[in-house]
Amino acid sequence: MKIVRLLLLAAALACLPTAAPAQGKTPAKDALLYFVWPQNGAVIKGGFWCRFGLRNMGVTHAGEDFPNSGHHHLLIDVKEPLDTNEPIPQDKNHLHFGAGQTETRLELPPGKHTLQLVLGDGKHYPFNPPLVSEKITITVR
Amino acid sequence: MRDKVRDINSGKTYVPPRGATPRRLAAIVAGDISGYSRLMQLDEEGTHARVKRIQRDLIEPSIAEHHGRLVKTTGDGFFAIFDSPVEAVRCGIVIQQNMIGRNASLPSDQRIDYRIGVNLGDVIIEDDDIYGEGVNIAARLENIAVPGQVFISGGIYEQIKHKLVCGYESLGDRKVKNITDPVRVYRVLPDPAAFNKARRRRENILIVLLSFLLIGIGASVLWYWFPYQKPQGQVVTRTSPKLPQPLSPRPLAPQPAQAAPPAQELVRPAQPAQSPAAEPKQAPPQLQAAAPAQPPAPPAATVHEPEMNMLRGGSLMMGSNEDASEKPVHAVTIKPFAISRYPISVREWNACAAAKACQFTAAGREDAPVTNVSWNDARQFVGWLAAATHKPYRLPTEAEWEYAARGGTQSRYWWGDELLQGMANCKGCNDIASVEQPARVGSFKPNPFGLYDMGGGIDQWVEDCWHKNYVGAPTDGSAWTEGDCGSHVIRSGSWKNDARYVRPANRDSYDTGVRYPTHGFRVSLSP
Repeated sequence: MKIVRLLLLAAALACLPTAAPAQGKTPAKDALLYFVWPQNGAVIKGGFWCRFGLRNMGVTHAGEDFPNSGHHHLLIDVKEPLDTNEPIPQDKNHLHFGAGQTETRLELPPGKHTLQLVLGDGKHYPFNPPLVSEKITITVR
Repeated sequence: MRDKVRDINSGKTYVPPRGATPRRLAAIVAGDISGYSRLMQLDEEGTHARVKRIQRDLIEPSIAEHHGRLVKTTGDGFFAIFDSPVEAVRCGIVIQQNMIGRNASLPSDQRIDYRIGVNLGDVIIEDDDIYGEGVNIAARLENIAVPGQVFISGGIYEQIKHKLVCGYESLGDRKVKNITDPVRVYRVLPDPAAFNKARRRRENILIVLLSFLLIGIGASVLWYWFPYQKPQGQVVTRTSPKLPQPLSPRPLAPQPAQAAPPAQELVRPAQPAQSPAAEPKQAPPQLQAAAPAQPPAPPAATVHEPEMNMLRGGSLMMGSNEDASEKPVHAVTIKPFAISRYPISVREWNACAAAKACQFTAAGREDAPVTNVSWNDARQFVGWLAAATHKPYRLPTEAEWEYAARGGTQSRYWWGDELLQGMANCKGCNDIASVEQPARVGSFKPNPFGLYDMGGGIDQWVEDCWHKNYVGAPTDGSAWTEGDCGSHVIRSGSWKNDARYVRPANRDSYDTGVRYPTHGFRVSLSP
């Protein structure tokens, strides 16, 4: 066991400098990630429930590695492109739903906001190619 | 005594003895090595030789230089008396600061840390020993001193407070063993700059010498290898799709998948992630049983406790107006408590894993903070630590965390209102390469309470359930555990977050049972 591990480690060491690892698992071919609510362009007063939809793949807890499944991440007003080689960031603009939630209550300050869903695997990495929803713009009054 | 009585009885005039006065007022310095038996266990002869050398090269000359007298040495400690309290404390500081330099090049398990206590008292002095309550108190002060620090009594403090320019932190009145009256205790905070200089030098040497690249690669390989230890032994799981293949972006997953089911070595059998409470209770028997049976486990027989800083109580204005979650700013009083000086390290975590009380063995450098722990994992660790040490270790409450992080300040950061480069481990705040992250605990300056990484580095779990703001929050420093506890509070921000997250007032939440690669914790202890 140890020898195998060491050999693999050596192999990995040899490969590492030449290529950055591609992290993601492949999503199901016809998978679709989308917002049930709100719709693109919606004008909303106050707080609202944001509901996530996923077709042809399953929602599971973070940490579980069943094939064809993942958990939701909601990106609010994120402008940077998604890095598929890193876990999806965790901060006030990247909300995680690792317990398998499919909706959340949002209270955003008045103004225009963008929302986008990203499906993450058991280790919070995006899939490859990334499975993301349309980036919608809403206005909170 | 007998002589004296006879003198009186015989009516002769009593002549005080000329040479050595039996009693006198003196500043007593007591010092000993913390963890001496552990050091001796590791390397008896080496430790003995080093301790002797330190006594000869450092302690004896320092005492002489400050006009003191070394009264006696024990295996791991010494007693000295001084006429002047100022000189006594100076001598203590000199010894401690020299030890920092001497320890700098040593691996952490071989470091020799002195604890020093200084007390002023009326003592009986003989040629090779001293007696009296004052001596006992000095010894007790030394006993409660944090390794590497000097604790002084109220009597000494009164004498030196305007004469010796350094910081003093009051630790309040402490009850000490076999002494009736509580003793007022102060911690001496010598010039922090010197301390950090020593630290920084060591860092530079480390960074240059330990060929950066190898370590980075090694760490990242390990990182990709074990990161999210699967409780179940399913082979499908992790595989190593993360193993780089130079040419194609799609690696051949099956090979490593078969070859490396490290799951076997990763302890825990199947256990749903959310069952924290039951486990730790079984820990101590297992711990004792397991310790002798597993030689590779580091000295598990005695649990190595995290280094703790005792904080006196106080009050703070908790929160800020920068984010909706931090409002309203409210006054909170905090009772005295101890909090670990650093976030829990991989080494400390793996002691719990070795005792089978924590669910996975963490990979990575031993002195890096443990990461990828859920709140449930963190609770298992403190449960195990509490049971193994019979001390009420726990997670800090959110209010305690902010109190400790502010270090007595009300500014945006503990060092002021402006972000300064190199003060904390956040994104764009320093020049640590990403392969070296998370940087080892204590890589940055401590805050005024002597605590490291209170802001930046890793996110840190606290006891409280998440509430979206402070409306209805307790004001007595206790944990706020009512309401929906599906998520708990994380504090500090990580190396992946920008400077806004390093603020002591910043707060965020995360699902209770979910692990994430930037999440760790520190522990706390009620006195």
